[in-house]
Amino acid sequence: MSIIQQHTAASLTDAWRTVNIDILTEDSSVNFDTSTLHPPQPEVSEADVRTLSTQVRQLLRGGDAEGALRGCLETPVYNGTDAAKEAHLQTIIEVLQSIKASDMTPLLKGIYAAPGGSELLDVLMKYIEEEARWKADGGPIHSYKGMASGAPAAAGLKSPAKMTPQSTGFTQIGSRPGASNEPASAAMSVLLSWHEKLVEVAGLGCIGRTMTDWRRV
Amino acid sequence: MAAPEVHHLFHNPIADHSFSADHATLAVARDSTVELYGKAGNAFKLKDVLKGHDKTVTSVDIAPNSGRIVSCSQDRNALVWEPSPTGYKPTLVLLRISRAATFVRWSPSETKFAVGSGDRVIAVCYFEEENDWWVSKHLKKPIRSTITSVAWHPNSVLLAAGSTDAHARVFSAFVKGVDERPEPGVWGERLPFNTVCGEYLNNSAGWVHSVSFSPSGNALAFAAHDSSITVVYPSGPEQPPRAVLSVPTQLLPFKSLIWKAEDEIIAAGYDCEAFRFQGGEGGWQLVGTVESKGSAGHGEQREESALNMFRQMDLKGKVKDDTQLKTIHQNTISTIRPYEVSGGRVTKFSSSGVDGRVVVWNA
Repeated sequence: MSIIQQHTAASLTDAWRTVNIDILTEDSSVNFDTSTLHPPQPEVSEADVRTLSTQVRQLLRGGDAEGALRGCLETPVYNGTDAAKEAHLQTIIEVLQSIKASDMTPLLKGIYAAPGGSELLDVLMKYIEEEARWKADGGPIHSYKGMASGAPAAAGLKSPAKMTPQSTGFTQIGSRPGASNEPASAAMSVLLSWHEKLVEVAGLGCIGRTMTDWRRV
Repeated sequence: MAAPEVHHLFHNPIADHSFSADHATLAVARDSTVELYGKAGNAFKLKDVLKGHDKTVTSVDIAPNSGRIVSCSQDRNALVWEPSPTGYKPTLVLLRISRAATFVRWSPSETKFAVGSGDRVIAVCYFEEENDWWVSKHLKKPIRSTITSVAWHPNSVLLAAGSTDAHARVFSAFVKGVDERPEPGVWGERLPFNTVCGEYLNNSAGWVHSVSFSPSGNALAFAAHDSSITVVYPSGPEQPPRAVLSVPTQLLPFKSLIWKAEDEIIAAGYDCEAFRFQGGEGGWQLVGTVESKGSAGHGEQREESALNMFRQMDLKGKVKDDTQLKTIHQNTISTIRPYEVSGGRVTKFSSSGVDGRVVVWNA
């Protein structure tokens, strides 16, 4: 059936498309609080995040990188103030940056093999993509549009460690105000290599789960 | 083990397929028509084209005993095709929905069928003798979004539905005068129409692509867009389930799943091949693929010939022909269905996908 044949001069304008018919339906998704569809997450306060961050730093100083990473992945801040979320993100990034590239894969494999490990790696993926969004847009954007350009591109790269972040096209826009481009791109290359290693261990399913999950970090 | 039976019907996506009980007829949803293929030797030949919908046909189902075909389409209609000596005669069903119909399945009793829709309702349709007409009752609450798939319980009363609001739900679709009162079971005791017997979602909560009751009807499995399958074991009416077991995988999401037996599930989807899960109430796990790559490796054979290597280099500028997937399906598998059942176990199942192939596998 050709839809095009049915066009007349009146229907060629697309003004009718702007009528949001969902508003007119009483029980449509726009007239319904979709957050009630899933169970609420416990709220995490900024103080909790700070305490955890100190513990994690201690573990790091003690050389227990896996314990430190597990520690922060086990308590993701799904429900909390922006400050708490950001503080937790910073802790995780600190841990990620302190781990050597050669240790990444064995460490991820160790976490994946443990019970509940798949869930922890999903959390890690959420934080990596959240941080990549920070770097790309200069601030947290809670929309998956930003990620759509970041994640699949990164996943498709064969050797992100060798590529300069400039070639992915988003560091030019990005880097937080005040920061020079150099450390930002170094941090980005660490993130990209974590991303690569993570996809090797947890598979593409991990990216899918990060995108579908209601629980955002 | 015999090799899978591959039928490459055409180069269009197959939204849904259904075999008749004797496996001689294959109904396939293609664009806005339902095509019927008849078995001729080892191949399927186009026998009849059922034209009646004016938009994409989304789902088709053949009732195994009566041979009636039901199809539904994005034109918001469902048609029941009655076999007659002069061909199939369509009857329109009053669905009363204002968005596309997405999925249709006959109940095991074949007196009813359920149509999922984008209108946040499931139309449960049955034949009204006095009006000589298929009418429908709506399952509405608490569905919040498009229904992607439905599945009937063996007792023909309970209906499972997966939705894009990330929930899999179990409803009662009891229609007075059509159904016999069901035996009380794990899902509930009194089951008037639209009783919600269960509402489930898993942690990462993706769109639910497919739902299925276990052969006994005492467990429910669903596949979601978070690349997981989830199995629910209910404990009784109004009580939290005994176990909800979710298996996240490293793979791409599954579009369709079936139970092979109480302890085995087969799921297939965007990875273009079927995977096997085994387990029970204690836990489920992915055990591997159904397809064995060794036998399908015609790609490797081709590589061995030097003539072919140079030909490839000449034609395509590269040695390897990597335009083909190693799997039999060359694109997403959209539907899998049991094909042959013996002793309560599925021994063969069929799959169809975006690549226009219908394949019959040994389960």
